[in-house]
Amino acid sequence: MSAAAETGARLYFAVQRRRNRDARGLLLVAAAFLALYAYLFPGLLSVGGFAKFSQSWLPLALVSMAQAIIMIAGGVSLAIGAMVSLGAVIAATSMAGPLGVAGGAALVMIVGLAVGAACGAIVVRLGLPAIVVTLAASFIVGGAALLILPRPGGAIPAWLSDLLAGDTPVAAALLVAVVVLWKSYLATPIGLSLYSAGENPVAAYRAGAPVDAARIAAYAASGLLSTCAGLFVAAQTGSGDPVIGEAFTLNSIAAAVLGGVGFLGGRGAMRGAIAGSLLLSVMINVMYFLGFPPVAHYIAQGLIIVGAVALPQFTGRRSGA
Amino acid sequence: MTTAPILAARGVSKFFFGNRVLRDVSIALQPGRIHALLGENGAGKSTLINILSGALRPDSGGVEVDGKTYRALSPRDARRAGVAVAQQELGLTSQISIAENVGLGDFPRRYGLIDYGDLARRAKAALDLVGLDEDLASPVDDLPLGRRQMVEIARALFREPRVLILDEPTSSLSAHEAQTLTGLLERLRSKGVAILYISHRLNEVMRLCDYVTVLKDGVVTADRPMQGVDAADLVRLMVGRDSGHLFPEWTPVADREPIVSVAGLSSSVLRDIDITIRRGEVFGIGGLVGQGQEDLLLSLYGALPASSRSATFRGRPGLPRSVRAANDLGLAYVPADRKREGLHLAHAIAWNLMLPSFARAAALSLRRRGAERGLAAQLADRFTIKGDLTRQVQVLSGGNQQKVALAKWIPGDPRVLLLNDPTRGVDVETKREIYGLLRRLAGEGKAIVLSSSDTPELVHLCDRVAVMRQGRIVANIERQSLSEEAIVAASMGAETARAAA
Repeated sequence: MSAAAETGARLYFAVQRRRNRDARGLLLVAAAFLALYAYLFPGLLSVGGFAKFSQSWLPLALVSMAQAIIMIAGGVSLAIGAMVSLGAVIAATSMAGPLGVAGGAALVMIVGLAVGAACGAIVVRLGLPAIVVTLAASFIVGGAALLILPRPGGAIPAWLSDLLAGDTPVAAALLVAVVVLWKSYLATPIGLSLYSAGENPVAAYRAGAPVDAARIAAYAASGLLSTCAGLFVAAQTGSGDPVIGEAFTLNSIAAAVLGGVGFLGGRGAMRGAIAGSLLLSVMINVMYFLGFPPVAHYIAQGLIIVGAVALPQFTGRRSGA
Repeated sequence: MTTAPILAARGVSKFFFGNRVLRDVSIALQPGRIHALLGENGAGKSTLINILSGALRPDSGGVEVDGKTYRALSPRDARRAGVAVAQQELGLTSQISIAENVGLGDFPRRYGLIDYGDLARRAKAALDLVGLDEDLASPVDDLPLGRRQMVEIARALFREPRVLILDEPTSSLSAHEAQTLTGLLERLRSKGVAILYISHRLNEVMRLCDYVTVLKDGVVTADRPMQGVDAADLVRLMVGRDSGHLFPEWTPVADREPIVSVAGLSSSVLRDIDITIRRGEVFGIGGLVGQGQEDLLLSLYGALPASSRSATFRGRPGLPRSVRAANDLGLAYVPADRKREGLHLAHAIAWNLMLPSFARAAALSLRRRGAERGLAAQLADRFTIKGDLTRQVQVLSGGNQQKVALAKWIPGDPRVLLLNDPTRGVDVETKREIYGLLRRLAGEGKAIVLSSSDTPELVHLCDRVAVMRQGRIVANIERQSLSEEAIVAASMGAETARAAA
């Protein structure tokens, strides 16, 4: 029994190491930017500085994971931003009320899971294109957020804001927890089947993999991550804003693509998406410190994305020849 | 001989879009027997496998598992009964590891998680059986094609099947790997596994299998022990249809000067091909599906990169480097997948007919609607495309769509027509019309290159036929010695089978 467990652990970790391979280059680049940032802003190395940085990074990391899950399942989501807004307004309107913080957080999660699963069920069961379904969902969800809270307002209990967005790096700990949860999900049959369902659903179905369930579960997980990102954003600002999530839709795609997650399904890994979101966050911070005008951020961001995506094309062609 | 079969199909029929693919087919897989399933492209082998594994439901007849008859066997029923299929088209997930691929769909679990210990042990055992000693943790992406095929077989073995169905397992294996597989199958047979073996390599089949079922056009033409059958018998059982008067009569044109000649054509798929195409002939390209026929046509058409030792197209040296260049040289290509590559389905018939002419016109010149309408009507008349030309192409039947895909090139007066399986999925009547048309075009002095998976059409329509196997031309058959037997034998390598026997 112990021998079997040992080879099992060995196989599991060997598999994980191989999966790191593709993200290595990106992690190096992100680390280089991080070093530059630390050089420009030595405060980063203090507890408080690290806490602030991880708070600015966490929402983007969460939505990038949300996007990457759907891209691995073979789709793309345009509803991420609207889901973030929805999570923020639900948190801001429910937590100060009778539901309390725990009830409000549970509501945010349940809504995220349910809306995500509904999108997934429509995409998978009706065979509609994910981009169309999530575009429609972005209007519906965005509209619902505006109905709940027509203008910025609501409240998040101060102690929660202090806990999540204060001077302790709780955000970093939360990210670690999410990553651990994702790893455990990938170690279940339905989680691992997501890769097969995204790359070649027919073959996966013939092999007996739970293709439909894996894809619907992916949409539900994606919805959950998005509304939780909304909760965190609301805690950061202390209130809810019904359009605060808008920028996250395209940034999540940018981070996932930077991280090597492919559009055709079954390609890429979560660590890539997280590294991509780290790179984007650090980049924005560094440019801010170097005094770039805000408009230049966009241009630089676009150039870096195109460059990062085109680079493997060139190196791949050379090694393929 | 009286052993009860584990898995059997009884009087199974199946229709696809009104075409009968299987008619009253019965097959019984007995324990401890390697059973060969033979047939030409499109004879219904894949459909039969899908029915046996529950992936498709028969329209009539039933599937019997351990004596129990199912009207609608589900994939889950089949798996539970111990039926495992190693598919021919590779169904592996490239990003996850070999071990995870082997276990996919049947992961051992502990506390809801995948039990990696058990997975490692059992996947290793299955991979050992097929002789694969790769690291269990490496992603399938890293493996060459032949090894992936072995992983696919290991996945089937992982389930410890009682019935193992192998769909062309050796098509991408090296000789050594194929030998390992042979040894493995013999061992499984002695353990009482029922094996269904589909292959186009006759010598392999005759060496390995105990029993054979032959399908031709969805009908069983033989179901008997392998003993006492030779390669020629098997080939005869697979071919030989009543061709009727489907094909036009003609006398070969005397004027047959070369219009295209290429020597040493090679690409990632093609291996050193010499080819000469002459005016006024129909030049056939035969062989099993996917032996490089499409690559050959596309390389000649400038749509795929290729190299050659020497090439002359209508007196000019060199291969065309782009489709535009090929069109300028008078080449036209009609793809096999007309819905995706040949036509713009949502656009009008007339618009489709005019598309290549638009490409030839100066980029910003004005369209001349009147002239277009006249030309489209003329083409429709000549190719007997009936009805309103402003309708969308997708309302036409497959055969009429094919005529549009062909007719659109005619205004540009092409000298060489490259046709990729033009009669696939086309009804008999339209087939006859297309055959007549092709002969007429050849009679006008055009060169027709016809790649086809339909052997009778190669025999009755072509002046000569080149047979391809694994990217090479393995036989050039002139008109006087053309026969279905000759083409099928060459495409399956039966010559070598006879020599080996």
